[in-house]
Amino acid sequence: MEMISKSTKKKDHDAKISGRALYVDDHVMDDMLYGRLLRSAKAKARITKIILPALPTGYFVVDKNDVTGENRVAIIVHDTPVYAEDTVEYVGEPILMVVGPAVKEVERILHAIVIIYEDQVPVLDMCQSDTAFFNYNYAKGDIEKALGAADRVISETFQTGYQEQAYLEPQGLIAYPRAGRMTVRGSMQCPYYVHAAVAKALGYEEQDVQVIQDVTGGAFGGKEAFPSILACQIAVAAKKANRPVKVIFDRREDLEFTSKRHPSLCTYKVAIKNGEITGMDIDVLFNSGAYTTLSAVVLQRGLICANGVYRIDNLRVAGRAVKTNTVPCGAYRGFGAPQTFFAVEMVMAHIAKEMGLDSLELKEKYIVQQGDATSTSGKFHFHVPLPEMIQRIDELTAYRAKRKLYQNQTGRYRKGIGMSMFFHGCGFTGSGERDIIKAVAKLRKNADGTVEVLASNTDMGQGIKTTFCKIVADTLGIAYDKVYIDNPDTDRVPDSGPTVASRSLMTVGGLLQQAAAKLKKEWLEGKEQVIEEHFSEPDFVIPFCLEEFKGDAYPTYSWSVNAIEVEVDTLTATTKVLGAWGIFDVGVPVDMNIIQGQMQGGFLQGIGYAAMEQMDYNEKGMIRNNSFSDYIIPTAVDVPKLVTEILNNPYTHGPYGAKGAGELPLVGAAPAYVEAMENALGTNLHKAPFTQEDTMRVLQGRR
Amino acid sequence: MIKFTLNSQEVISLAKANERLLDVLRNEFSLTGVKCGCKEGECGACSVILDGRLVNSCLVAMGHIEGSTLVTIEGYRGTDRFAALAKAYAAVSAVQCGFCIPGMILASECILAQNPNPTEAEIREGISGNLCRCTGYNAIVEAIGIAAKGGQGLW
Amino acid sequence: MVNGYQATSLKEALAILAKEAVTPYGGGTDLMIAADEKANYLFLTKVPEMKNIVEDKEYIRIGAACTFTDIIESALAPAILKEAGAQIAAPAIRNLGTVGGNICNGSPKADSALIFFATDAKLRLVSSKGERVIPIAEFYLGNRKTSLQANELLVEILMKRTGLSNYYYKKVGARAALAISRVSFAAVLNVEQGKIVACETAFGAVSDVIIRRADIDAMLVGKTIDEAKAVKEDYLAAFAQVIVPIRGRISAEYRKSVCMNLLCDFLESNGI
Repeated sequence: MEMISKSTKKKDHDAKISGRALYVDDHVMDDMLYGRLLRSAKAKARITKIILPALPTGYFVVDKNDVTGENRVAIIVHDTPVYAEDTVEYVGEPILMVVGPAVKEVERILHAIVIIYEDQVPVLDMCQSDTAFFNYNYAKGDIEKALGAADRVISETFQTGYQEQAYLEPQGLIAYPRAGRMTVRGSMQCPYYVHAAVAKALGYEEQDVQVIQDVTGGAFGGKEAFPSILACQIAVAAKKANRPVKVIFDRREDLEFTSKRHPSLCTYKVAIKNGEITGMDIDVLFNSGAYTTLSAVVLQRGLICANGVYRIDNLRVAGRAVKTNTVPCGAYRGFGAPQTFFAVEMVMAHIAKEMGLDSLELKEKYIVQQGDATSTSGKFHFHVPLPEMIQRIDELTAYRAKRKLYQNQTGRYRKGIGMSMFFHGCGFTGSGERDIIKAVAKLRKNADGTVEVLASNTDMGQGIKTTFCKIVADTLGIAYDKVYIDNPDTDRVPDSGPTVASRSLMTVGGLLQQAAAKLKKEWLEGKEQVIEEHFSEPDFVIPFCLEEFKGDAYPTYSWSVNAIEVEVDTLTATTKVLGAWGIFDVGVPVDMNIIQGQMQGGFLQGIGYAAMEQMDYNEKGMIRNNSFSDYIIPTAVDVPKLVTEILNNPYTHGPYGAKGAGELPLVGAAPAYVEAMENALGTNLHKAPFTQEDTMRVLQGRR
Repeated sequence: MIKFTLNSQEVISLAKANERLLDVLRNEFSLTGVKCGCKEGECGACSVILDGRLVNSCLVAMGHIEGSTLVTIEGYRGTDRFAALAKAYAAVSAVQCGFCIPGMILASECILAQNPNPTEAEIREGISGNLCRCTGYNAIVEAIGIAAKGGQGLW
Repeated sequence: MVNGYQATSLKEALAILAKEAVTPYGGGTDLMIAADEKANYLFLTKVPEMKNIVEDKEYIRIGAACTFTDIIESALAPAILKEAGAQIAAPAIRNLGTVGGNICNGSPKADSALIFFATDAKLRLVSSKGERVIPIAEFYLGNRKTSLQANELLVEILMKRTGLSNYYYKKVGARAALAISRVSFAAVLNVEQGKIVACETAFGAVSDVIIRRADIDAMLVGKTIDEAKAVKEDYLAAFAQVIVPIRGRISAEYRKSVCMNLLCDFLESNGI
């Protein structure tokens, strides 16, 4: 194990374990008011009238008329309203906020407000949508020729459902005006995203907005863009009140109305000739919900991953993110990749079965190698460790032997084992890092020799406070205790970019390492010094062109192989996970415990996505799974045997050899689980989550 | 007026008997270490120890605790047992976002108080009502095991 | 206290119940989910007559204010009840939730109520005017509707002292802990001198109320195992007709299939 990988006590351990760490709802300010949002009861309607009850002194209502800037939230394409205008586009769309000193009274007023709607016809099914927010197409080789020349074309469709991030701390923010400025603080991943959105909604200059991240109780992408919407709503209220306003979501509100993983429908047409896969023609449909938010980039990543880890020379990928009158979907760990990796892994498994091969036998023939072209005609510049990972998984699980053993079972309990192989592109998709983010990170050395890390990246549990400080301390050759980092405050830190896309450690950690190296050289004892570093794209990267969808979508990739073993009780159609094994290459771990924690946490979220996290709409467009008793996430007893191993494959351009780590572990759990279910049930399956009811349907021959 | 013992101190709450213990702890007593994750007894973030038993404070009405003894993380963190657990959790970096942690620590205490040498299965059962979305539970389970082994008569 | 009463004896509790508009409060694990700020609670956990688990000549008497943890830790509670109790939710809920609350909630998903149905337990209901003891099957009128009178308290559940050891129990939830039942099934079979002397089955979480059809179970009573095998098809068909799952989050077909599978398995595990 590398020196840097040796685990350190986390910087935020003491505050959190003692209960002293303050999350946004723990902050109480003088004169603070509470806000609750009134939300649309209709999936699609025109608002014809809003009838307010008499408001007691100190209580008031905030809506689109109170927006002093633009009534739009700055998220890529700025179509999300801060407060609804004439129409509502999904059940839950915020129409107004009631604000006042006592929460109970605020709620009473909220329930007394009457909205008169003129019903319109909603579109809830993504297949019925007539509005494609985004449409991307790319190709390489000659797919038409491959399809024409094929002996057989296998065509299959796969579906994946919603997934809710289910962070333990619900969404919440406080906004407070002071001396002509507005400060917003709270639970978030991207202070500068919130900063830009609030400035636009208030019509303020950038320097008049301050955003501070509070200790954040989990996020997983759910607090990447969503807080920008809530921040605008609260800032407008705080400006009207000229007092601090706090909004904390309750769990039901959070489960029903915040951004989720895009449901998908992916169709694969695979050309087979002479027992070889000669081409793939892939169509991807993502359900964007009512507004665009992050769908463009989620779709991009999903499309880039569409052919998985396989070398497919004749490839065509077409994708659309379509509008439906449902909650807008956004970022969730994996960001489009879990959907298409599910589809490609399952289609390969099915093709193998058609050919009389085990899925691993088939997959191994097509695994890319270093030097091969990527789906978008970029290059896999670095070593692809999949073969040795497969070998290791087989050692740990006896996968190959069990696959044979578990065919054709007849007893009450039926076992199955499945495997998946996948990557996660490290960092922002395409040239975003270079052209849009343009990260800047700083170190401030104090006169007393302590060093402060100044970056806008947020620790939401994944440990960047610790790893950033480790990198700086180790590079400088000073004690870990001498380096510190506070929760980012836009008044004090440069914009080092958002905490997304598994970029923080690799990209910003890299900048901090460079800054530390420079500081070491230029160190002046007893003096305050500031070192600033700007991002520059590594030389080897083939620039990515979005219009053509060509080039290196990512500088490098993190790799993984998962195996999951299940046991189905055919009497009850319930499934026990006997074991889940994952081997992960995230470059060199900058802290082994932290990386293992990320792998285990992400893997279990992926198993939840595969097995139990069903989320549905009813015919009125209302999410039915709106409590933790109905939206089922894993407990400590659900997967007792969860094994994660790290494979060391240093990345030449990452700090200490580190690559992106955060999202990788969630990406491949679903196909490993569903392939295990196929092994146990003896039939092809096409959806995730694959639940008890789905299992019973198969057992009874009902489809 | 509800009289009870809170973190070893006799206190009187001005709350009505039908108010939620969670709200009273956070608002009247400013004990913000007790977290609200769901308010329906489904996540365990609000766990406290009532008369020696782990309970979800979001499901307890104030009238229920008249005369009872209550421990929150704020009261527990001064103890040697807490120190042993904190050290064990630190050794495996079991704390990620931290929101489940006060509840997990109190659940850890209740497991070990009843069973100083629990098996892994017993540990998992003991924290089965405390949801964690960050860690996948392994590190927390390991930490409780470490505290048990190194406990040296603490439990 | 305001909006609440703490009773320290059954007499006191009944007097308050008779005089004031109060909601009896056992553990609060159902009541506090949708907490009513106007509610007046009658707190029962300090009423000693409701906290006992004792045995007399006929019955094991379980106080309605006993928590699931009390039951799991008691030496006297029958194994079938302990097994069901141990699978309820999670430790923190078991430490608060009471059998009385579980029953009076009136939900067909109540895990302990299922056991009481399957073992033909009786409920002792007491008011300041007197008391009545009724079979639990008569207590339920519909989903979340019981025959509990306004001034009555469920004080004790009376379980048979013997004949509960050959039991079958299965709870099917969405995951391994913190799970509300999607389907649950409990059954007891007693064979004496080669003849079935008792067959008691109950299905939970499928209908408005827990399904207990002693009349259908009677088809097997008095028969030898071989004779029972002969009527097995009719027995299963009779249950298939009466198990009609109500609409819910989980499909009716799924729940019915599970019920029939478990019923079959119960028979087969007893050689039928």
